[in-house]
Amino acid sequence: MAATFFGEVVKAPCRAGTEDEEEEEEEEGRRETPEDREVRQQLARKREVRLLRRQTKTSLEVSLLEKYPCSKFIIAIGNNAVAFLSSFVMNSGVWEEVGCAKLWNEWCRTADTTHLSSTEAFCGFYHLKSNPSVFLCQCSCYVAEDQQYQWLEKVFGSCPRKNMQITILTCRHVTDYKTLESTGSLPSPFLKALKTQNFKDPACCPLLEQPNIVHDLPAAVLSYCQVWKIPAILYLCYTDVMKLDLITVEAFKPILSTRSLKGLVKNIPQSTEILKKLMTTNEIQSNIYT
Amino acid sequence: MDVCTFEKVGIRGTNIVVLGVEKKSVAKLQDERTVRKICALDDHVCMAFAGLTADARVVINRARVECQSHKLTVEDPVTVEYITRFIATLKQKYTQSNGRRPFGISALIVGFDDDGIPRLYQTDPSGTYHAWKANAIGRSAKTVREFLEKNYTEDAIASDNEAIKLAIKALLEVVQSGGKNIELAIRRRNQPLKMFSAKEVELYVTEIEKEKEEAEKKKSKKSV
Repeated sequence: MAATFFGEVVKAPCRAGTEDEEEEEEEEGRRETPEDREVRQQLARKREVRLLRRQTKTSLEVSLLEKYPCSKFIIAIGNNAVAFLSSFVMNSGVWEEVGCAKLWNEWCRTADTTHLSSTEAFCGFYHLKSNPSVFLCQCSCYVAEDQQYQWLEKVFGSCPRKNMQITILTCRHVTDYKTLESTGSLPSPFLKALKTQNFKDPACCPLLEQPNIVHDLPAAVLSYCQVWKIPAILYLCYTDVMKLDLITVEAFKPILSTRSLKGLVKNIPQSTEILKKLMTTNEIQSNIYT
Repeated sequence: MDVCTFEKVGIRGTNIVVLGVEKKSVAKLQDERTVRKICALDDHVCMAFAGLTADARVVINRARVECQSHKLTVEDPVTVEYITRFIATLKQKYTQSNGRRPFGISALIVGFDDDGIPRLYQTDPSGTYHAWKANAIGRSAKTVREFLEKNYTEDAIASDNEAIKLAIKALLEVVQSGGKNIELAIRRRNQPLKMFSAKEVELYVTEIEKEKEEAEKKKSKKSV
């Protein structure tokens, strides 16, 4: 307790430690009531990440990569990366859906946690029919911070195999890119790469410089791979248009020549046509800009 | 403001100024005529903008009032440079006021002064303005500008037709699905603003494609 100049008594923070009485008061406040526990459990159930089998829509008992052997895993996070894989990779082979991840968080447009619309953001997993150890994930939904670990566990498992190669594709707004140059002079969109220690192949673009960092699910996947010594590379496209945009999707094209995607892409001119069609069908007629 | 915007190209020829714009695909139920891309500020000055449509509307209205006010006061029409400076000053004011945000538009302003000299100016949200021989604004402005830097020559703009073709070629570099997505406006000395119809644009596009094919044939003959 301390007295101010005006004679009022104020409670000053004690650096020696809290008094016993105060501790008991605080503990009572901190003690969880059954209602609190119920609310917390409800919230945890609502935010659970579920990995479902394609046909039966039942949850997988083990993680995806424990169930299916995998030598190559390409993950696209965000709508531009998803569009790139859809046009260039998925149209060049026969891909079979093996499952999907269902999750709900505040970013979802619906409050209904059980029946998420199929036209909204999704997270699907596919493997190549001719080579089932090649996996692909298209994730256009936002995976919140508290759900990222669950997602990793459900997909990779708690003890992943090390003999696979992961490639992650994602986008970020160019205003997040820290550089000495003025953002106006940056050749947006542009590609940067970040890889784990065990990834030995060369990247098809410059590496991401300090002090730039990666965020969200791509960061979680890359960190996971670094910890478990899995060779992984992240290709990050900095763009000034975050919605589905042809120029941003085409910025991923240099990746087609890397070992990660070689052999998976056959007809590039046809893929470009498919991409253009995808753009026109998805074009939102916005009157804000001219 | 380059985000999400469609291409606009301006070219200053010897006797002509050309404004080419990428046509935005309009929703089915929307009346296309009400989607304005090229706006006249006065009889002899017009502008195309890229950015927030609502901001452009406010700026254009203020500029139009200023054009008439100038004519009434000074009994002379504005010079292209004057009205560009007015627009740029207006934009700059909004970068330095509290509680306001800058106008989110870049504009290409073209016209002829009383002395008969063609002018092309570009302004941006910061309030700077510069005169250009040829310029582009919009999402892929860099690509179009690079094309113009390579192809803008004295021969290319010597005749009106060549200047028009240059504007169309520059737009075709970045516009998807070709000529039907291009709108063109030209102004010749001492003549009113002329908007090209879709057919007229197509004619030019066909001519450009023919010239390209012929150039390619010549190249292949030479290599053989």
